[in-house]
Amino acid sequence: MNLVYQKLSPQIGEIAWNEPISDGLLQQQLLVQKELLSELKTDIMETRIGFTRLSIIWKKQPTVAFMENWLRAVDLSKSKITRSDIVWQVPVCYDQVLAKDLIELASAKNISIDQLIELHSSITYRIHFFGFLPGFMYLNGLPEKLHTPRKVIPVRSIPAGSVAIGNFQTGIYPAESPGGWHVIGRSPISFFDGSAFPPVWAKPGESLEFLPISVREYESLCRFPRKPSRK
Amino acid sequence: MNLKSGLMKILKTGPCTSVQDLGRSNLSHWGIPISGVADQKSAGWVNHLLQNRKESAVLEISQPGLSLSFSDPTIICIAGASALVKLNGKETHPSGLIYPESGDVLDIGPFYTGARVYLGIKGGFQSEERLSSKSWYQGITSLEYAKKGTELPYFAVPSPFFPFYAKAKWNTSWFEKTELEVFPGPDWDLLSKQEKNLILTHRFTVSSLANRMAVQLQDLVPNSLPELPTNPVYPGTIQLTSGGKLLLLMKDAQVTGGYPRILQIEEESQWILAQKKPGDQLEFSLKRP
Repeated sequence: MNLVYQKLSPQIGEIAWNEPISDGLLQQQLLVQKELLSELKTDIMETRIGFTRLSIIWKKQPTVAFMENWLRAVDLSKSKITRSDIVWQVPVCYDQVLAKDLIELASAKNISIDQLIELHSSITYRIHFFGFLPGFMYLNGLPEKLHTPRKVIPVRSIPAGSVAIGNFQTGIYPAESPGGWHVIGRSPISFFDGSAFPPVWAKPGESLEFLPISVREYESLCRFPRKPSRK
Repeated sequence: MNLKSGLMKILKTGPCTSVQDLGRSNLSHWGIPISGVADQKSAGWVNHLLQNRKESAVLEISQPGLSLSFSDPTIICIAGASALVKLNGKETHPSGLIYPESGDVLDIGPFYTGARVYLGIKGGFQSEERLSSKSWYQGITSLEYAKKGTELPYFAVPSPFFPFYAKAKWNTSWFEKTELEVFPGPDWDLLSKQEKNLILTHRFTVSSLANRMAVQLQDLVPNSLPELPTNPVYPGTIQLTSGGKLLLLMKDAQVTGGYPRILQIEEESQWILAQKKPGDQLEFSLKRP
């Protein structure tokens, strides 16, 4: 495995994987991140993970040659043993009242609403990283049948908790935001609390499932919010 | 020492006035942007003149028409964009230190040059701190932008018998140049020679879509870049959309993005960019990091 290191600025560098998004790739990223933060901690300000990259803001950036040698020395096979088995269960109400694009998406896919819900909620999704908005999880695993291009014109306001589909991804809007994804449900729980530490409950590498709930359950969870349960 | 607390009250403001310090580092793994002052040089100048710590919170003002009052005496300093500044209706020289008394009203009128004015106060604003920063950001702090009636606490400083009118002159010529230094981004080499050439020789115009998240340029760069997976972006990252729009990311930018990341703006050039307003011109000069 030959990892490439690129200096993006005097402060920023990036490690590139040139392979498709997968659990195995994520495990390698998490392992390299852990090794970086244990071995080169004093030189690092922060690290970030994307689907195929790991970037570093340095206090003191080493040379490209140093980083390439360092990366060659990381034993990536260790990644097989560090996979998390935590699965979060996120309650979602797939009712049309809360899901503006549900009917349209099901008919575009030529499936019934129940089939769409079944397809979406029968999968265990992997949490790769947080981005877009504070607390927004990038998930991998959406069935190909549900892949849908983003809307050409983004909607001005998507409510917090909205569960949506965009391209090959599904995700949950942690806060009210403009957005171009197709909304198929809404979760009553909180995904980001800026007054808490940590402000989120999940970690990259863990997994997540959507648990269909009724409108009545949705309303009751809105009144008595709780964290998602673990499977 | 017993510090008396004062309140600065916003009497009138345009959109996008916010409290900023140096922002939140090391929280991007939860999707939290860095935030912080867009033009670190100007904010650094006011804190330096006030003998504040460099991370002291200042007020970032992006529109003319700000009016505010002070409940107690203090010392303030203004830099960044040059603007018409009035203390109690009388034009005052904005360079150096200003000593407002209890009840004084300060007005910031039209901007002559630049896009962001920084107002620093002795000791820094003592507003709410969330996730180790006072920088305002939607969903993290209770306010995103200042409104009429917003009150900002500060430490009152007794008026000196002999105020020191620092003669240090704030010079704006550094941000009036049009050239931004850039480094090749992760996806730079996916561009064709012609596309690269256009980007490095064209004189671009800042569009009216310019805020703390991103500055969009008016001129398009038609391209045939592929769809790419979402990966990390930073303040200073330049993304190119499939529609040919160039997005220059600012301090409140999201931490990851899906559009190709073609360039990264050098740090001081990001501060120059922070002082560009719609209609201003820009060109890129490629450097190796």
